[in-house]
Amino acid sequence: MIALGWLVAMFVAAPLLVVIPISFSDAVSLEFPPPSWGLRYYQAYFADPRWTQPTINSLIIATAVAALTMVLVTPAAFALVRHRFGGKGAVNLLLMLPMVVPHIVIAIGYYAFLSDIGLLQSFPGVILAHTALSVPVAFLVLTASLKGFDRTLERAALSLGAAPWQAFLHVTVPVLWPGFAAAALFAFVQSFDETVVAIFVSGATTETLPRRMFDSIRMQADPVIAVVSTLLFGVVALLALAAMLRRRAGG
Amino acid sequence: MDGAYLEIRDLVKSYDGKTRALDRVSLSARRGEFVTFLGPSGSGKTTTLMVIAGFEAPDAGLVRVAGQSMAGVPPHKRGIGVVFQNYALFPHRTALQNVMFPLLMRKVPRAQAARKAAEMLDLVGLADFGNRHPRQLSGGQQQRVALARALVFDPTLLLLDEPLGALDKNLREQMQLEIKRIQRALHVTTVFVTHDQSEAMALSDRIVVFEGGRIQQDATPLEIYNRPRTEFVARFVGDSNLLRARITDPGAGIAEVEGLGPSRVLPQQAQVLPNGQGTLLLRPEALAPAEADAPNRLVLAVEEVVHFGDSALLIGRAGGVTLRARIGGRAAQGIGAGAQVPLGWRPDAAHLIGA
Amino acid sequence: MRAVASPATGDAGFAVPAARGTWRPWLLVAPLLAFLAAFFLVPLGQVLVMSVTDPEPGFGHFVAIATDGFFLRVLAQTFATALLVAVLTLLLGFPLAYAMAEAGPRMAALMMVLVTMSFWTSFLVRTYAWMVILGKSGPIAWLSATLLGGAPPELLFTRFSSTLAMVHILIPYMVLSLYAALRRIEPAVLRSAASLGAPPVSVFRHVILPLAAPGVVNGLTLVFVLCLGFYVTPVLIGSPREQMIAGVIGHQVEEFLAFGEASALSVVLLASTMIVLGVYHRRFGLDRLWG
Repeated sequence: MIALGWLVAMFVAAPLLVVIPISFSDAVSLEFPPPSWGLRYYQAYFADPRWTQPTINSLIIATAVAALTMVLVTPAAFALVRHRFGGKGAVNLLLMLPMVVPHIVIAIGYYAFLSDIGLLQSFPGVILAHTALSVPVAFLVLTASLKGFDRTLERAALSLGAAPWQAFLHVTVPVLWPGFAAAALFAFVQSFDETVVAIFVSGATTETLPRRMFDSIRMQADPVIAVVSTLLFGVVALLALAAMLRRRAGG
Repeated sequence: MDGAYLEIRDLVKSYDGKTRALDRVSLSARRGEFVTFLGPSGSGKTTTLMVIAGFEAPDAGLVRVAGQSMAGVPPHKRGIGVVFQNYALFPHRTALQNVMFPLLMRKVPRAQAARKAAEMLDLVGLADFGNRHPRQLSGGQQQRVALARALVFDPTLLLLDEPLGALDKNLREQMQLEIKRIQRALHVTTVFVTHDQSEAMALSDRIVVFEGGRIQQDATPLEIYNRPRTEFVARFVGDSNLLRARITDPGAGIAEVEGLGPSRVLPQQAQVLPNGQGTLLLRPEALAPAEADAPNRLVLAVEEVVHFGDSALLIGRAGGVTLRARIGGRAAQGIGAGAQVPLGWRPDAAHLIGA
Repeated sequence: MRAVASPATGDAGFAVPAARGTWRPWLLVAPLLAFLAAFFLVPLGQVLVMSVTDPEPGFGHFVAIATDGFFLRVLAQTFATALLVAVLTLLLGFPLAYAMAEAGPRMAALMMVLVTMSFWTSFLVRTYAWMVILGKSGPIAWLSATLLGGAPPELLFTRFSSTLAMVHILIPYMVLSLYAALRRIEPAVLRSAASLGAPPVSVFRHVILPLAAPGVVNGLTLVFVLCLGFYVTPVLIGSPREQMIAGVIGHQVEEFLAFGEASALSVVLLASTMIVLGVYHRRFGLDRLWG
């Protein structure tokens, strides 16, 4: 069974690894194995505004989405974890809705809705849509971290002379910041990776990286995509490594 | 009560509007006194502590510290030091920073706060551990940091909520002595909550026994042990034999005791027993191997012997009731199940509880 | 009982918010609710409205979906594919999750890294990887050419390629679900089963499998629902003749601006998803799905 498990693990991992050598290919078109090696596609990626601009757009959008999501989700998460009130169950379900509605469905909705209010193909339009889609994952992460927070720490701070806002600032926030950071990161990634809605609502000047990749893959399997993939892959690996080191340092 | 430093009167608290978590709890403590709230979980001892600290609002009643009513005073303005069950040390701050926290909240200049915190860490024996984070400290060390943190700002009261629950037995005993030493040195009025009766006995000037939201007894440890006011207290504190008793001759101090027949008891106790009915408390160590002059005698048919080294517990039957007797370890040598051991007890070693 | 007139009764000095008025939590939740209402519920409502108003009021689109052979084929195709993908991820994912739960901590950590890396890698990147692998100038074609001396059958742009890619993309969800359930099984339970005389096969059948069942249900539900609405992968590497419903919805809008038809199909997709999740919610509670 365990041997079989390793086989599946290879199946999970291997395809990703095929992408990396392709990105270092020096061939004019997609070829495997690459006949010669080079950085021509990296040059192509970094020199071509049709690639760099969507990358920048995506970074801008994802950053704004993460910020807006946290502003909205943080107070709500505190309320839902710490208070009991009528209608709480319904609120919880509503917050999960953007996660369970298929993206293609809401993409059609956004297309119509944003063109009605004149925000189609605009930054605010994409940001608003992506924020709604990022709410559930940020909420789940933040809630989990809040539930793990020992509230006697706040009581201790109060007993030691801290006013409620000081207890929040000096104890709650510093203890919970990894949770906040994780929630913001999840919101960022959700937006940065989001493809379907972006295909329908981002436009020429606001094109996101996934949309650019999607269009590019649809037209021809351009090896520049391997470059983007490798770079994204590298970022994920770095984040995973950072998380692992943090956990190890944390004992 | 005059000279009461902490005064609690008629506290009532209900969480659901029906059952009372606190039912007219009243007590007081003198300055520098070490008072223990003892009771099983759900007895109201922790709730009372939380009301004193300001974390729970009572439905009625009042708390006064140093003559000042605490009504309307939020926790952070009460100046009461609290050590929580799980210590509640701030994980993102070092031991020293934890101890500095209450001083910084009181606008003490940083350098002065650091100096004072270091002194306090020294007092609890952690002078060299100031730079460690809580997770790098053992349970006992965390406990000491929590204690230092609760004491560094010269609190009016020190409240300890089952602070030793998470420690193993040896460390517990060591920490008990440590807490007592520090409490004496600082002469701080202390309320200690525990469900462990031996801990309460070891530490306290006074023990308040809680049960079902009410105070069962409020007395010195010896008083609680030797003269419990209710059967609950007798059972909860120490090991006990409890036997139904009916006074047959109050003047001479004769009682008909369940299983033991007519027995001599203290007349002054027999006379105050309402309608002559009660329960006789015989601590196991009150049953000693018979001496010639013991007024009450019995023969224990031993069923089981538990050796503790310094002493041994004999469990057996006499007159149809099960009795436990604690005798010296040496005297217990050679006694096994099936042995018939003659035992006796003196009237002043027993205690009558009103029914 | 003596009534005690005390200023301590219910005053603001006690920092215990739980018992206070219920408006405070609502105040904290309000901005988020308002945002979701305006920027999620309204667009979603617009889809529902468009399905019966565009281009003219009526249920014509739904009638068409229920009667037209093309739409019915798409629906059947979609459900069949989602079911197939869910079952395949279970069959492949179980050994991996089991190995993760059983292997030593190092091995388990390594497998966990592989699964989470894949999980965090964009759908697009993973789809692209399969395009490369299955493509005319990819490693499969190359292997086939060097070993067999001929071109392999056309793999890309078929049901096979899109199913394979979707299995690969969704397998981390299954593995993580199963692993969560398997890891909850106390080793002592397995040891005690063995000590009671159960041979390994019986332990597996009578102890491990039943205890893993919640993870299986979770994983199947999650993968099935995600697969139902999958757009990117089928569109990019699936067979153009055998589209899934999401692809058809996108196509209707992109090519024909047929919002009414696309919306009606969206409503069908949404309803199917909600029915599956509703049943799950009834039985287990939705919040467990992402546990």
